[in-house]
Amino acid sequence: MKPGLRIDTLRVRRFGHFSDLTLELGPGLHLLYGPNEAGKSTLLAFLRAVLFGFEKRGSPERYAPAEDDAPFGGDLRLSTGMGPLLVRRMAAPRGRKSETLTVLGPDGEPVSEERLKEARGHVTRELFFDVFAFRLEELAGFEQLTEERGASEALVAASMRGARRLPEAMTLLRKNAEQLYKPNGSNPELNVKLRELEEVQEQLREVGNRPALYFSKRERLESLGVELGGLDSRVREDGRELERLARLELALGDVSSLATTRAELESLPSLETFPEGGEARLEDALQRSGSYRAEVARLAERLVSTEAELKRLSAPSPVRGREDALRAAVAAYSERSELVRALPARRAALGMKRRQVESALEELGLGVDGPGLVALDLSAGARAGLEALSSRLDVEETGRREVGGALARARSERERLEGVLTRTESELAALPDVRPAQVRQQQAGLARMRVARADLERLGEQKMEARRRIEGLRGPVTELPSSSSPVIPVWLVPVAAAVAVTLAVAAWLLGGTGVGVLGLVGGLVLTGLLEFARRKVESARDAEREGREAQQHSRKQEEERLRVELAGYVAREELARRELLASATDAGLSPAATSSDMTARESALEETLEQAGRRESLSRERDTLRATHDLALRDERQADELLRGHEARHASLSAELTACLSARRFPAGLPAQAALALWRDASALRQRWQDLVADEAALSADEAACADVVSRLRALAAEGILPEAEAPVSQSSGSMDLVVMRVNAALEAARAQETERRAAEERRRELREEKARLDELCRTEEAALAALLAEGGGGDEETFRRRAVQAHRYAELTHRARELAHRIEARTGLSDTEAREALRALGGEEGLRTVLSQVRARHAEAQEKSKEVLTEQGATQNQLEQWENDDLLARLRIQEETLRAKVAELATRYAEDKLALALLGRARRRFEEEQQPRVVQLASEHFALLTEGRYRRVFIPAGDERELRVSDGARDWSAAQLSRGTREQLYLAFRLAVVRDFGETRSALPLIVDDVLVNFDPGRARSAIQLLAQLAEHQQVIAFTCHPWLRELFEAEGAQTQTLESRDSAATLRAV
Amino acid sequence: MHFKFVHAADLHLDTPFRGVAAQGPLLGRFQESTFRALSRIVDLCLRERVAFLLLAGDLFEVKDRSVRARLVLRRELGRLHDAGIEAFIVHGNHDPLSGDTGTLGLPSSVKVFGPDWEEAEVRREGRRLCRVQGISYPDVEVRDDLSARFRRTGDGFSVGLLHANLGGAEGHANYAPCTPAGLGARGLDYWALGHVHTRAELMLPGGGIAVYPGNPQGRHALETGERGCVLVEVEDGGMRRRFVPVDTVRWHRLEVPLTGVATLDALLGTVGEVVEAECARELDGHAVRLVLTGRGPLHRELARPGALAQLEADLRARLAQGHPPVLLESLRDGSRPELDWEALQAEGGFARTLLEEARSLEENPAALARLWEQEALGSLGQRLKRLGVDVLEAPRMEWVSRASLLGVEALHEEEEGA
Repeated sequence: MKPGLRIDTLRVRRFGHFSDLTLELGPGLHLLYGPNEAGKSTLLAFLRAVLFGFEKRGSPERYAPAEDDAPFGGDLRLSTGMGPLLVRRMAAPRGRKSETLTVLGPDGEPVSEERLKEARGHVTRELFFDVFAFRLEELAGFEQLTEERGASEALVAASMRGARRLPEAMTLLRKNAEQLYKPNGSNPELNVKLRELEEVQEQLREVGNRPALYFSKRERLESLGVELGGLDSRVREDGRELERLARLELALGDVSSLATTRAELESLPSLETFPEGGEARLEDALQRSGSYRAEVARLAERLVSTEAELKRLSAPSPVRGREDALRAAVAAYSERSELVRALPARRAALGMKRRQVESALEELGLGVDGPGLVALDLSAGARAGLEALSSRLDVEETGRREVGGALARARSERERLEGVLTRTESELAALPDVRPAQVRQQQAGLARMRVARADLERLGEQKMEARRRIEGLRGPVTELPSSSSPVIPVWLVPVAAAVAVTLAVAAWLLGGTGVGVLGLVGGLVLTGLLEFARRKVESARDAEREGREAQQHSRKQEEERLRVELAGYVAREELARRELLASATDAGLSPAATSSDMTARESALEETLEQAGRRESLSRERDTLRATHDLALRDERQADELLRGHEARHASLSAELTACLSARRFPAGLPAQAALALWRDASALRQRWQDLVADEAALSADEAACADVVSRLRALAAEGILPEAEAPVSQSSGSMDLVVMRVNAALEAARAQETERRAAEERRRELREEKARLDELCRTEEAALAALLAEGGGGDEETFRRRAVQAHRYAELTHRARELAHRIEARTGLSDTEAREALRALGGEEGLRTVLSQVRARHAEAQEKSKEVLTEQGATQNQLEQWENDDLLARLRIQEETLRAKVAELATRYAEDKLALALLGRARRRFEEEQQPRVVQLASEHFALLTEGRYRRVFIPAGDERELRVSDGARDWSAAQLSRGTREQLYLAFRLAVVRDFGETRSALPLIVDDVLVNFDPGRARSAIQLLAQLAEHQQVIAFTCHPWLRELFEAEGAQTQTLESRDSAATLRAV
Repeated sequence: MHFKFVHAADLHLDTPFRGVAAQGPLLGRFQESTFRALSRIVDLCLRERVAFLLLAGDLFEVKDRSVRARLVLRRELGRLHDAGIEAFIVHGNHDPLSGDTGTLGLPSSVKVFGPDWEEAEVRREGRRLCRVQGISYPDVEVRDDLSARFRRTGDGFSVGLLHANLGGAEGHANYAPCTPAGLGARGLDYWALGHVHTRAELMLPGGGIAVYPGNPQGRHALETGERGCVLVEVEDGGMRRRFVPVDTVRWHRLEVPLTGVATLDALLGTVGEVVEAECARELDGHAVRLVLTGRGPLHRELARPGALAQLEADLRARLAQGHPPVLLESLRDGSRPELDWEALQAEGGFARTLLEEARSLEENPAALARLWEQEALGSLGQRLKRLGVDVLEAPRMEWVSRASLLGVEALHEEEEGA
């Protein structure tokens, strides 16, 4: 047995629901017993986790405590072949690098993780979980393993050195190979590429042998070229012939018309020399000479009329020879005509103006005529003196008016004051002469009188009251009651006592002692009561009597005091009466006056007081008025004086003014302002007068000038122009205008006649010249006509005309013949003779048409053929070019080669994978043959032991279907054919075999089983525990169970049992 | 006597490129490259005023059926004809005489050898410069040693033009197999060979030389580096050879060390540097296969499923933007952990059993053949062969060891992952 791994101490820091749990283990068989939920599975997971790492986050096997983020995990203290190790593995619930592993050596020094791996015997996590530390469910997991991969692989995986991952490696290779290729698959890579390659090759086949095609096509192209050349030349030849014939056909009509024309020409005489356009020229010449003659006749007529007119115009005229003098006179008159026409109006206006001035002069009232006015001194200096005087007068006048107003106001004020004063005095006289102080004294006396009277009345009443009270006090005085007649006599008491005794005795006698005593006591008590009542009444009567006596006494004292009071009232009454008297005197009344008198007196006094007040105020007013009146009087006097001063100055100024006015012959009494106005009028009038005189002088000068001009004009006009009867009588402008008009008209008529005459002369000259020219032309024309006729050869006009018609026809025919010949040449390229010859050669028109249609058909055919060949040539050329430039083949070949390379590569890889797989299989079988018997043998032993000899052997049959089978010596079964318990026993036996083999060959690892025996019957369970105990001799075995019967079995085999408390109690352990 | 000639072979005009997407901007450049290589060979001939041009088979592939290939060949040889330069052609296994040779209508100065031995002379100004002998493949499958029919016929420089596999070169079909000794025995001065795409020269016993110029344009990720033709200058019996690259796009296999590369960005940067350093600017384009080597911090990240494919896609897009554009053929992870075979053997256990099993299988072909059929790989092989892929034609021993390695690695991952 190789040294391996043993768990000595287990310390859970935090894991699942455990915290701070320490468990001492050691060599041998250990049983951890606890009920469900005590944490057995948690401890199994803990052992796995610390040895191999925590489960992934989220796995329930991770057992991360849920409460907080504190790290969880724990320690294991291990004994290994290389000394003790402390393994601590902690994990944080969150964070990336959540797991930390600490491995400490014997002296607490950190050592490499490799030490742990070595101690674990390089066993993989999966294998450890499957074979060394498992639960009941994982027993079945092992079953799956064997089912899926074959028991041999599982075995190899479980126990072979250097082939721990053989199943994975084989799976990987198998997967790789399948991804590369499947013989009947379509998706693996090689299948895909093969398919593509086939497709590409198919396409290549379709393309065919391109170069062979290419070169055959090329040859075809060359032959086509040759054929095309032949066809082209044929087409060209036919075309030429066709063209020639077509031209001939076109010229057919022309040739025949040319023949006709030529024949007609032959029939005409030779007329080449006939003048060109002869007839027209003849007509022209005839017409021209006719027109010349008509023109000459017309000119002669016009000449005669012109001469007659000349004669008429040459007659004499009165105006002739005097035109200049007349024109000068008319001009002079025209200059002044406006003036002449205005003269009468001007004269009338001046007369009117003169009359106005004269009437204004009269109205002025100065008593002077026009020249007198002019003579007056109306200079500016005199006027300034007058104006100064006038203004001073105005000033005086204003002052005087102001003073007069002030005087009037002062006078009226004085009169008003006098009126008021008079009214005041009269009113004052009406008022009584009483002073207010006196009246007030009377009023005060009256008031005192009223008071005194009221006092008297009140004192009287008080006196009466005092008397009444005295009377009252005297009336009710009663006698005091006489003393001492007691209510109850004193004796009654002893009597009563005696009676009581008696009665008591009697009772004693009659009734006995008891009654007698009772009667005695009763009688004595009654007697006592009687005595008490009597004394009470006595004392009450005494108290009443004393009260009455005191009352009597106080009443007497009261009466005395009232009398004194009464005497006082009387004295005060006397004083009041005196006062009344005095006040009555003051008030002017008798003391006995009644209250109504007093009231009347009071109102009278009030009125008097008012009047006295009024009088006093009036007298004060009067004094004031008198002072004011004096002041007004003084003012009046002053104003009067001032007025007088003003009037004196005014009078002196008026005198000065009067003197001034009289000096200028102005009315003497004229006020200054009026004088000034008169002055201004007079000077304005003088100006107008002077203007009038000047206007009149200018008018008479104009009149003189006009008269001179008019007379001269008239004198001139009188000679021959104006009829005698119309000799002007007056020089009125209207008649003068008539004269001027006539003169002007005569002048105008003379000028027009002259002009007309000159024009007529000019016309006559021109007409004469024209006539001479026309005569010359007539002569020339006649000569030309003769020459033309001579040229036409006929001599006379008739012949000439006939020949002209013939010449025209001749020219026409010649032209047509020439034109036709040209057309024939243009169309055929041949002269007309040649064309005729060619036509004759072709057999005339009919022959030509036949040949033409034949050639045409031939030509069209050749063209068609040529086109076809050309098309084919183009197509071939295109095809060739396409093939020359087409890279389809190249692309396909590239694809093909690329795919081939890829296929080769993939196929190689596939072959390698397949070979590798095959090699691994062969190696595995060989290895199994050499290595397997040990494990299987151990398993057989274990299984026989477990089944108490029921099954003898476990084996793996040879062949490819390698499964685990069991045999009882007679027949064998596969695992699936066994009952559940037996199957589990088989797997347990197998595991124990592997564990033992592993321990012997590599490393003795602890075996940890969690309640895997529950499906075993007690016998087989005992056997299993015995097997475990055997194993525990060499390596640590830790078992968990919750079944008491199993616990007993374990304990019977010497297991060290520790009990796990249920989760509710603190997780502690109790060693048994 | 002084003359020059150019020796080229395996033009493979217009053949498809493997690993180039059938769509995309780079395709045009790649597809034009074989034509441009031929143009540049012709340019070289004109520039150097050579006497003649030798084309040693596989001018194009019959199965490509490319019209353009034939037209371009005609056009380019026409240019030589115009300049008075002769051309000699033999056909190889890809363009045998039985198929359409495409030589129809070639200029008159072009000599195409037939299926029987022939000799032609190159003359200048009445003097013979050189003798050229050649045989074309009548069919694809030529398993005879055609070189045996060659022989020296007289004085002067003699050239043998042949499409052949000299010394059984690996990776090429063994057509017209021949040996250096056999060639040497023919007594020719210069063997102008074709068929092997990698440039090689072999001095022959007896003084001659056999030359493979390689193909003038690399066509897939295994044909890396410069590609071109050989310019030969002959003067007074002496000979100078010069390799002239004519390729316009070039293939590379580049290793990118992961050591010390911490981030994907850094890896992209490193790739950029490596590519920049290796891809010449003057070319039209490049195609690279990137192999990640070594172990570094990124190893684990790249081991995630899909990570490598994502990186490959990123890099492909990025490199295609460059000037000149670079095609990423593939990105491969060559950074697998080395397994300690000795330790595994010594440790015993399952791995040893596995290795032992593999070894016994390798030693027993019959068992392997049985296993092959058992795993239905034979039928898949047949299917592939019908499609022209002969990779699974027969079980190969090396696959067994590769498979055992795969198995051990799969088991070993446990240690990684645990």
